[in-house]
Amino acid sequence: MQKSKYIYCLFFLLLSWLASGCEDYLDINTDPNNPTVAPISGLLANTSFQTGFNMYEIGDVTSYYVQYLASPNPGSATDTQEPVSYDDAWKNVYNILTDLSDLEVKAQEEGATDYLGVAKILKAVHVGLMVDVWGNIPYSEAFFAQTLNPAYDNAQQLYDTLQLLLDNGIAELQKGTSTATIEGDDFIYEGNIETWMKAAHALKARYLLHMSETDQYDPQAILAEVDQGFASTADDMQVPYFEERINPWAQAALNNASLILDGWISQQLVQSMDGTTYGYVDPRMPYMFGTTEEGEFVGTENGAGRGDAPEQGARSTLVTDSYYAARTAPILVITYFEQKFIEAEAALAAGDANRAYAAYQEGIRAHMGKIGVDTAAIDAYLANPAVSVGAAGLSLDLILKEKYIAMFLSPEAWIDARRYDYQYEGMSIPANLNPDLNGQFIRRLIYPTSETTRNSANVPAVTLSDRLWWDQ
Amino acid sequence: MKNFFCLFIFMLGLCCFSITARAQSQSISGKVTDVTDNSPLPGVNIVAKGTTTGTVTDVEGNYSLSVPANIETLVFSSVGYTSEEVNIGNRTEINVELTPDVQSLQEVVVTSFGIEQEKQALGYAVQELQAQEITQTKQPNLVNALQGRVAGVQITNSGGAPGMSSRIVIRGITSLDPMADNQPLFVVDGVPIDNSTIEATTGNTPRGLSNRAADINPNDIESVNVLKGAAATALYGVRAANGAIIITTKKGKAGEVKVNYSGTIGFDEINRYPDFQEQYGQGFSGEYDPVSFWPSWGAPVPAVQVIEPAHQYYDNTRNVMQTGSQLDNTVSVSGGNEAATFYTSFSNLQQKGVIPFSNWERTSAKLSGTANVGDKFNLSGSINYINSGGNRVPHDRIMETLMYWAFTQDATDYINPDGTQKTYGNDNPLYNARFRTYEDNVNRAIGNITLNYAPADWISFLYRVGTDFYSDQRTEILPGPMGIEGEFPLSSTGFIEEVRINSRDINSTLNVTLNHSFSEKLEATLRLGNDIFDRSRNTLASTGNEFIIPEFYNLNNTRNLATGQIITQRRLVGVYGDLQLNYDNFLYLGITGRNDWTSTLTKNNRSFFYPAVNLGFVFNDVLDIPEVLSYGKLRASYAEVGKDAEPYSTAITYGAPIDVNEVSYFPLNGQVGFTRSNSLGLPTLKPERTTSLEFGTDLRFLENRLSLDLTWYQSNSKDQIIPVPVSEATGYTTFITNAGEIENKGIELILGVTPVETEDFSWDVSLNFTRNRNRVVEIREGIETIVLGEQFGYAGSTVTMQLIEGDAYGNLYGTSYERFYENGAPEDLKYLDEGQPLLIGDNGFPIINSAQLIIGNAQPDWIGGIRNSFDYKGFNFSFLIDARAGIDQYDQYGNFYSAFGMLDYSLNRNDVVIFDGYKADGSTNAQQVWLGQGVGPDGVDYGAGFYRNYYRGASENFVKDASFVKLRNVTLGYNFANSILDNTPFSAASVSLTANNILLWTPWNGYDPESFSAGAGSNATAFTGLGYPGVRSFLFSLNLTF
Repeated sequence: MQKSKYIYCLFFLLLSWLASGCEDYLDINTDPNNPTVAPISGLLANTSFQTGFNMYEIGDVTSYYVQYLASPNPGSATDTQEPVSYDDAWKNVYNILTDLSDLEVKAQEEGATDYLGVAKILKAVHVGLMVDVWGNIPYSEAFFAQTLNPAYDNAQQLYDTLQLLLDNGIAELQKGTSTATIEGDDFIYEGNIETWMKAAHALKARYLLHMSETDQYDPQAILAEVDQGFASTADDMQVPYFEERINPWAQAALNNASLILDGWISQQLVQSMDGTTYGYVDPRMPYMFGTTEEGEFVGTENGAGRGDAPEQGARSTLVTDSYYAARTAPILVITYFEQKFIEAEAALAAGDANRAYAAYQEGIRAHMGKIGVDTAAIDAYLANPAVSVGAAGLSLDLILKEKYIAMFLSPEAWIDARRYDYQYEGMSIPANLNPDLNGQFIRRLIYPTSETTRNSANVPAVTLSDRLWWDQ
Repeated sequence: MKNFFCLFIFMLGLCCFSITARAQSQSISGKVTDVTDNSPLPGVNIVAKGTTTGTVTDVEGNYSLSVPANIETLVFSSVGYTSEEVNIGNRTEINVELTPDVQSLQEVVVTSFGIEQEKQALGYAVQELQAQEITQTKQPNLVNALQGRVAGVQITNSGGAPGMSSRIVIRGITSLDPMADNQPLFVVDGVPIDNSTIEATTGNTPRGLSNRAADINPNDIESVNVLKGAAATALYGVRAANGAIIITTKKGKAGEVKVNYSGTIGFDEINRYPDFQEQYGQGFSGEYDPVSFWPSWGAPVPAVQVIEPAHQYYDNTRNVMQTGSQLDNTVSVSGGNEAATFYTSFSNLQQKGVIPFSNWERTSAKLSGTANVGDKFNLSGSINYINSGGNRVPHDRIMETLMYWAFTQDATDYINPDGTQKTYGNDNPLYNARFRTYEDNVNRAIGNITLNYAPADWISFLYRVGTDFYSDQRTEILPGPMGIEGEFPLSSTGFIEEVRINSRDINSTLNVTLNHSFSEKLEATLRLGNDIFDRSRNTLASTGNEFIIPEFYNLNNTRNLATGQIITQRRLVGVYGDLQLNYDNFLYLGITGRNDWTSTLTKNNRSFFYPAVNLGFVFNDVLDIPEVLSYGKLRASYAEVGKDAEPYSTAITYGAPIDVNEVSYFPLNGQVGFTRSNSLGLPTLKPERTTSLEFGTDLRFLENRLSLDLTWYQSNSKDQIIPVPVSEATGYTTFITNAGEIENKGIELILGVTPVETEDFSWDVSLNFTRNRNRVVEIREGIETIVLGEQFGYAGSTVTMQLIEGDAYGNLYGTSYERFYENGAPEDLKYLDEGQPLLIGDNGFPIINSAQLIIGNAQPDWIGGIRNSFDYKGFNFSFLIDARAGIDQYDQYGNFYSAFGMLDYSLNRNDVVIFDGYKADGSTNAQQVWLGQGVGPDGVDYGAGFYRNYYRGASENFVKDASFVKLRNVTLGYNFANSILDNTPFSAASVSLTANNILLWTPWNGYDPESFSAGAGSNATAFTGLGYPGVRSFLFSLNLTF
């Protein structure tokens, strides 16, 4: 039995080795590249910075619907208001909402009330971005994989959530007990808590104004928020860009310059500024976009494409030596001038024409100053009788006409356009319009393919003609 | 774990039982020699007939063993010799002479862990290639040397660049995960090595890097065995789930020291070009414009020559290419004595590609040896040092700029005396090739030490530890402006990227082999073992943008620096038992059980057990079979194999945010951002499982003149670990979970015929054929497709490769021309019906249907190869033809060519035509249209013309049949006769002429369709990209032995 001893010995050795050594030996699956916990400053740095990109990405869709931009190619799907699946925009906004949700949880745990307050305000910005283009979206079952098929929250109820987020954000910021201080990790205000609170009020005013066509419209409430909002252009909520990471509109302009065509200006916008539509020239054109090789402002007709025009030099496009598409230009989230136009509209509705007119003029002045128009030119423009109509002459049409120019490239312009039923002077449906729209303008986006393929049971069935709850 | 213990106890029982039945013994010793030259034969197996009791001869050919007294016969066998059975009688000394036998070379194969097994005993398919077959092709990349020769194995060159990777897939794709590795495990002398292909960083232009097995010098290889099914690989576990390539390297033999030199010199040229039009030059709308961006939409060349005599057509595509070359020299020295043997080799390969400035070099030094310490202990080891790398030109950029470069401008005149680019406006292809450099430099050491200890003739121990360590150092440079007035720089800033990859694999194997004869007829071998695998890889990449001093390429000389690091580590521990039973040399049963523990899954799920069983039945001796059948065997096997996850798949982490180009944008302004990972990893992830079933037969007729090996297999991979896309509202984009099933079934056929065999002349034919049917059985409820990849096409014709349930892996989706359906287009049309007539629009042109339809599939219907070999005295002539059929690819070249009017079909650009098809109202189209640009003869403005407005926008025009038949290899060799060599210092000498990829028949219009842009590690194989064109090679070789 000599040999059996051998074997038994061997197996005991093997088994005892297995029992002792191998469990620890395999415990190496903790990711050495990515931590399982992120610092709140790292979450704020990313969410505050990417707010700019998300504004850009939604703005890059809505700017074709409001005819700021036009595709150089005929029948381009966004231009002609076809059902397009904007998967990336949906993903990127949810990505930031997810990080903001983590930031909320961690800031709460750490007692970092400043971070918590800012997270809630930024969350309102992103939920607002989505709910105004897609309507119902997943929210209460979202962000923490509670379910793989999150249900959709009602858009109107999400409007209550927006106000609540902003109120709670302000409340957190007012506590002044934060265990951690925000600094440069906040790309928007570098930790200026006072301005954050102003921004929250400005946002509250914005979302209240969206309800102008509903029975919940309360101009006085808007004016009350405006009073606590921005005091000057210096308070603007905007995301800066850097030489290392340039403005995405600048990237579009650079791409266009290297024949990856992008950022062509709509004929409708050019005509509403060059005198064709209104009979007078708006001095802001060279600050907003470029000219042809001949130095003229020539737009492209939405849906029609460039026709015989060559790829370069024959049409106005975004260019890097303008305000919006400069390499280090900021992306505007909500501004003093927008707040002034909100104030003008609400005051007009409240019957305070004087306040409305003052706000209207200040809105124009602030926008023109913002993009670099010199004072003389501003004064000249404001002196134009077609602009300086006086309090009695001020109309909603005029306020929205001026706001339309000022909100160039902003997603907010599409909300105005829908509230206003696209009644801008000279704005007409694009060539080759999606026949399913029956000659009417687009009213909302369809849900992205990522949702219809991955969350099909919950995605509401919608068409592009369906109006969002506030669009009545 | 429970199962595993049961198996252990079962095997223990067997062993104990085996130990009791032993009897008295007799001692015998002697010497074995080669009958031809009386040289001693080491390593000859001597077995007491009817038992597994035996020994092997030492380096002097001597042996001694003791056998039970009742044994009457000893069997002497050795690879390459005819076995002898010798009656013992009363002798105690038996000397034997063995006769060489070429046939028997095929009979012993090396399987898992370097175990030599009689092929007869295997219940599964194995195919072996010998040294000569590998080196005959003179392919520097070992993977290419297998091309067309092995049934069930699909090998695809990713292109014709020196050192470029080659992809190998055995019996189809088994993973739904787009990122999964579907290639087999490579094992050298029992030690697994790394065969990954690490492509250039995402976002950079493709560079065509090497698969790491290309570091192995084919001249060092003695044989290659391809283990195809799960049954064959059960012993390797997880890592061999896709099969295994078992490589045995050359060893020294006792006797005189042998010095061998082999040298090869060769030339490469592009084997196939598209058919270009040579009529139209630079410009647009048929108008000549010497500074136009448009290379060939201009005026006819002769018309311009009237005004500008210097205007001419340049065959730029051929002119910028060069003749590639390769020079390969290997010297090996081997020898030894009874106590020790050694083999050492030194080799250097230098290759220059057909695209100028592309090159690759490999230097390899190898030393291996064995030593006997006493008669029970044997020690062997080897170390192989390799240095490889080269300049990987940006073939994609070069071929793209070559496309934009006007036919009527000389592309070879590319540089000004001051070093700036010479151009009329577009980027020059040669300037790109020369200055956009990407150099890799790999230093690699592969080594192993093996200890064998055989304390008694029925038990032996083996311990082997091996390492594969390499550092891969890469430098990419894109120059910025030189600061010279009026220059056309390649980039306005320039950048330098430095990448350092350090990879280290360690493998440890311990096993015990026990032999026992239960009776004269029933023999058993039990093998128990453990192995451990440990891989750690650390990658550091640093990019510096914008050079401050022009042409000074160092990270320190850049304005912006960004650095990133990735560390991965993975460990596996396996324990296995393998029981082989042999009943009377005609019935063989193998039972294997293995348990793996992986580091990539959590404690509760990291252990998994899988069994395998195989049965071989050699029926010709047992049944009454006509003489014509000289050998017949049936085999069957069932096996399971598990597969673990990628490291770090079971947790939620926070990482650096990345932009659409997958570039991290932090640190920014002194801040570092974090974002939650897109993938949701849960600790509940469990191993995936492949079950496979295989039946086969091996039949030989007319004394082996005709042989047939037929295999049917089916494998199903379930519980696949896939990153399933989920609603982004969950906070994640993918959920890594067990979901989905993929099935492969197919047949493999190997046919061997020797139509003529005489003293001086023989003719051998071998044919292999494989038909694999792949099907995605299930993905996951709610998920319709998995996207594998996409490649750009102009005007919306981008093609994507996707998986859908019910179809084979790799459907190709894209745009098409609208089709006419008499009763209206069917709802939910998924596939393009090419047979349906075109629907013609109101303007007389076809209509682009931008809905994504399935327009092709990237899996071949079948692949096969046929080789003919003729031997006459010292001459050998052979040729190999291989083929693949029914495979679709997206031709990105074709798409670009159509946008620029470069191919011959576009010569009809000024024709007036009527497109075949129907108008929407059902009437036959009769409308004449002009294909040209601008205003046509009928006064209608046709804009950018048919090719740019319509043709290039329909993906269906570029997703094409990429089937081919290739004359893969032709070799003519001559072995100098001994009568000639007697007066020389040489003991053997041969010369050969080889040509590879000489002829190609394919319906594909363009470069060799055997090309894809993503590199061998990628599953998105249907995209040619603007790949490195395929080449044919002509080589001359000399082989001398001193």
